[in-house]
Amino acid sequence: MIGRRGWVSLTSVAATLLLWFVLTTATGLVSPGRFPSPTEFWQSLNQIATRGYAGAELANHAFHSVRLVVLGFLVAIATGVPLGLWMGWSRRAEAAINPIFLIIRPIPPLAWIPLAILWLGLGDAAKIMVIWFAAFVPAVINAFAGVRNIDRPIIEAARMLGTPRWRLVSEVIAPAASPMIFTGLRLSLQAAWTTLVAAELVGALVGIGFVLNMAQQDIYPGMILAGMVTVGILGWATTLLLGLAERRALAWNVAGRD
Amino acid sequence: MGSIRFDKVDKVFGPRGSGVKALDDINLEIGEKEFVAIVGPSGCGKTTCLRMVAGFEPPSAGIVSVNGKAVTKPGPDRAVVFQQFALFPWKTVRQNIELGLRNKELPKAERDELVAGALKLMNLESHADAFPHQLSGGMQQRVAIARAYVLDPEVLLMDEPFGALDAQTRVVMQEELVRLARVNPRTVLFITHAVEEAVYLADRVAIMTRRPGRIKEVLDIRSIREAENWDRLQKIEDVMDLESFVHLRTQIWKSLREEKGPHGG
Repeated sequence: MIGRRGWVSLTSVAATLLLWFVLTTATGLVSPGRFPSPTEFWQSLNQIATRGYAGAELANHAFHSVRLVVLGFLVAIATGVPLGLWMGWSRRAEAAINPIFLIIRPIPPLAWIPLAILWLGLGDAAKIMVIWFAAFVPAVINAFAGVRNIDRPIIEAARMLGTPRWRLVSEVIAPAASPMIFTGLRLSLQAAWTTLVAAELVGALVGIGFVLNMAQQDIYPGMILAGMVTVGILGWATTLLLGLAERRALAWNVAGRD
Repeated sequence: MGSIRFDKVDKVFGPRGSGVKALDDINLEIGEKEFVAIVGPSGCGKTTCLRMVAGFEPPSAGIVSVNGKAVTKPGPDRAVVFQQFALFPWKTVRQNIELGLRNKELPKAERDELVAGALKLMNLESHADAFPHQLSGGMQQRVAIARAYVLDPEVLLMDEPFGALDAQTRVVMQEELVRLARVNPRTVLFITHAVEEAVYLADRVAIMTRRPGRIKEVLDIRSIREAENWDRLQKIEDVMDLESFVHLRTQIWKSLREEKGPHGG
């Protein structure tokens, strides 16, 4: 069932794993203090999954991180997409909002962390705020571009059919912009994960970023890698879920299919 | 009901004073249930004429009116069929056709009945739940025509509706449109650059000049069609072989050719 390209990919993965084993366990070219061997990695993963590390078990840390990402991401969608649609539709809204947006946009989301902690403390609220900021920007920009790229006859057809304002937005403009909106959401999700890890590195008592921070202080490479791999898997899984939602929502869009 | 009138209409694109004059003193009256085609060199502003009746663009001077009322905005009394179909790709065929009826706030039972009628009229029954991308160009344009007809519009505006179709499909659609016009006659403003199509479909053909577009002459096709009894022939190629048809076609060709001038159109 695996095609030729599938075999190439599998071989590539197997070779990388083998290289890892050779460089660490077999030859010791990379010292255990710099990068863990496969065994150390596995033991660390086992430790955090069953006995816990940094005050909680892996599931607990992961749940906490995922919760923050999802909350920040949802707030960003709920605010960013409507704002982008509005700016795309109304030249006046664009003229009013765009300059402010252009000033704020170059500030890296992580630069908001000190201010967020100052305002909201070390708890979840500050992290959700920073994730929101990070995920907000791509959501706005892509929704905006999505509206601007709608073919004019589509809008004219809707107006010719006497479509009232609200229905025009919900049944014509939003779906017409939705391929671009989803592109924005994918970027938003990525930004949300990046920001989460950074925010938890700076100040947290639970979560994957906190695990990474503790493992660094404990000089524990196996646990650092376990944390990194966990974030990778969680990011991949959430992206996969978003992709499924996109496939479902854009079933009509032949251009969006592979 | 359903007359269209252009009264001393000018259209200038770009800034006032320095803009490009696209239309110059257009005067044309289209009677109730009359089918008028506008032909002209590309860029002559024929599509702009249609867009002004649709309410997509205001005239720079003069008045465009439908049933004696100046056009101010788009509306379902003036249904448009676009060259590029302009279907909603996220809606099924049925949903595309139904949107205008929902906008009119008709009850569900009535909508279902009208949509079923429109599907039947355009031979789309077996594709009712397909998405537009699953259909051929000809089928998509059938949906667009059904979407327009189901509104029961006073005026039907067709902007080179068959321009994006291949030659065979185009002929089928032209015959279809003649059939429709008999079953359910409407006031039609039809834009095309295909002379044969205009002669075959229209009661009158208006010929436009190059930019700035003016109406150069208006030919009466209907009286000749009726005198020569074109309707006895089913197939478009048989009609196109008739001497009277060829004569009209040549007349329009010559008139357009004068317009192409040194730039070759």
